[in-house]
Amino acid sequence: MPEIYLNDIAHGRSGDKGDTSNVCVYARKPEYYKIIEREVTPEKLKEYFGDMVKGEITRYDVPSLGGFNFVMKHALGGGATMSLRLDSLGKSMGSAVMRMKIHVEDGEV
Amino acid sequence: MKKVAIGGGQGFWGDSPDAAIHMIRNADIQYMGCDYLAELTLSIMAKQQLKDPTKGFAPDFVTRILKEAGKEAWQKKIRICTNAGGMNVEGCVDAIKNWATGSEMAGYKIGYVTGDSIKDKIPQLLKDGWTFPNFDYDGNFNEILDKIYNCNAYIGHEGIEGCLAQGADVVITGRAADSALFLAPLKYEFGWAGDDWDNLARGIMAGHLLECGGQGAGGNYMYDWRNVPRMDELGFPIAELTEDTFDITKAPDCGGIICEQSCKEQFLYEVHDPANYLTPDVNVDISHATLTQIGDNRVRVGGVKGKPRPDTLKLCVGYHKGWKTVSMLSFAWPDAYEKAQYCAEVIMKKMQRRGMKADDIHISYIGLNSLHLGVADMSEDAVKNLNECIMRIAIFSEDKSECAKIIPEISPLQLNGPPGASFFGGRARVQEVMALWPTTVPRDALNIESHILEVK
Repeated sequence: MPEIYLNDIAHGRSGDKGDTSNVCVYARKPEYYKIIEREVTPEKLKEYFGDMVKGEITRYDVPSLGGFNFVMKHALGGGATMSLRLDSLGKSMGSAVMRMKIHVEDGEV
Repeated sequence: MKKVAIGGGQGFWGDSPDAAIHMIRNADIQYMGCDYLAELTLSIMAKQQLKDPTKGFAPDFVTRILKEAGKEAWQKKIRICTNAGGMNVEGCVDAIKNWATGSEMAGYKIGYVTGDSIKDKIPQLLKDGWTFPNFDYDGNFNEILDKIYNCNAYIGHEGIEGCLAQGADVVITGRAADSALFLAPLKYEFGWAGDDWDNLARGIMAGHLLECGGQGAGGNYMYDWRNVPRMDELGFPIAELTEDTFDITKAPDCGGIICEQSCKEQFLYEVHDPANYLTPDVNVDISHATLTQIGDNRVRVGGVKGKPRPDTLKLCVGYHKGWKTVSMLSFAWPDAYEKAQYCAEVIMKKMQRRGMKADDIHISYIGLNSLHLGVADMSEDAVKNLNECIMRIAIFSEDKSECAKIIPEISPLQLNGPPGASFFGGRARVQEVMALWPTTVPRDALNIESHILEVK
């Protein structure tokens, strides 16, 4: 099974509320929705981020928009006000999600 | 059929005024909403106001938007709603009054909304048994009581609508929810009832798509950023609503893009559960919403539903948490990362010897892993031939003097550390760390009032 970056088939944006980061992930083509649904589960994302995201990750599916919303708690090192991170607002959490490698079937992409 | 068009003029305090001015001059709009407040903005404003009681609002609204195009907006009957009042609504109103008086705008009506700041009501609320539970963390509110900078409720559309009903040409608020700045004029124009949840939800989503300015029109756009037209003249989004339709578009003759993907990226921005997006005005359900391109730079929004508003209001309490210092040194090829890493080790050993007691230390390497942190590519290939790398050490302590200890230790590493260390940006300073206590407050604890001041 070939491995690709989520970035190859998806786009999105990250936002912050306190120490919670949300990343919306949309399929670049309608047929990619199923792949994201299968490959980017909250469990896999949690494992991928490891220590970087300390709280739970919830996925909300929005098929009418061809996308998903991932809400990650305790994900910003304390959040905008407290974080010692360079990117305290998690502006690059979106691209960090897109960097995840996913498996696709031959011919699926 | 009646159509109302409203533009988004600002996405945050410090945003560019260009798109707002262009919109006033070139777009067919009746309203503009300008959002200035992010989560921490009010704490910063509160701190400014402590030092100088005339400060504590976003003066840019007056100096950069009204001075440039405010009179033109007034002449064209474009009414502007903004939360630029921040912590000092009256101060902002004064600045606007002075500008309008000097610009010979007799009859200009400044509306303003007071009552969101409830710091002085905390003791009574505590006495009444309200505990201010923290959404995010455990903790007892009593422990931060003497460290609070600001305590503001996110208020809804009512106060703004009240000003519009009295003929306000501009409406100034403090911590009105961003999207309420946009819902208020739409509700006022269409005469929606206070429990017409579906329509209120449409108004909120119009605000949501506009409240971040350029981000709703091709800014911060992951899908196809290379092909956003004229990013240097990025237009901001405009919402056009009728009783039946809801479109997003932008002003003529400006850059940016309005397409399904640009709208999608903003649509769920900072939303958590799409079926329960809580605002002071309505609980919005966008879990079955649709976005459809229906023309050049025009997207139709459908399927937005609403449910009754929550009983309580979100309350944002900003308080003093401690101090931080950020120190940096740059290194070049060869072995840039290895040198930067070794340098950080040397500094931390020195700090240990000096007995520095930090509550938190965060070390990262700019150019390598300061953004993607644990998921950055740290393979040998990625690291080996780095042209340059910046060591960054951030320290948090509740004790200011602990944070100060590292400051004089950084620049000497230019002569005393691994080769080629370069110190830049001047000596670090100890910065105050403010924290947010996200909680709720009962609606009846607030006394929201609409006022009008007419320029003579």
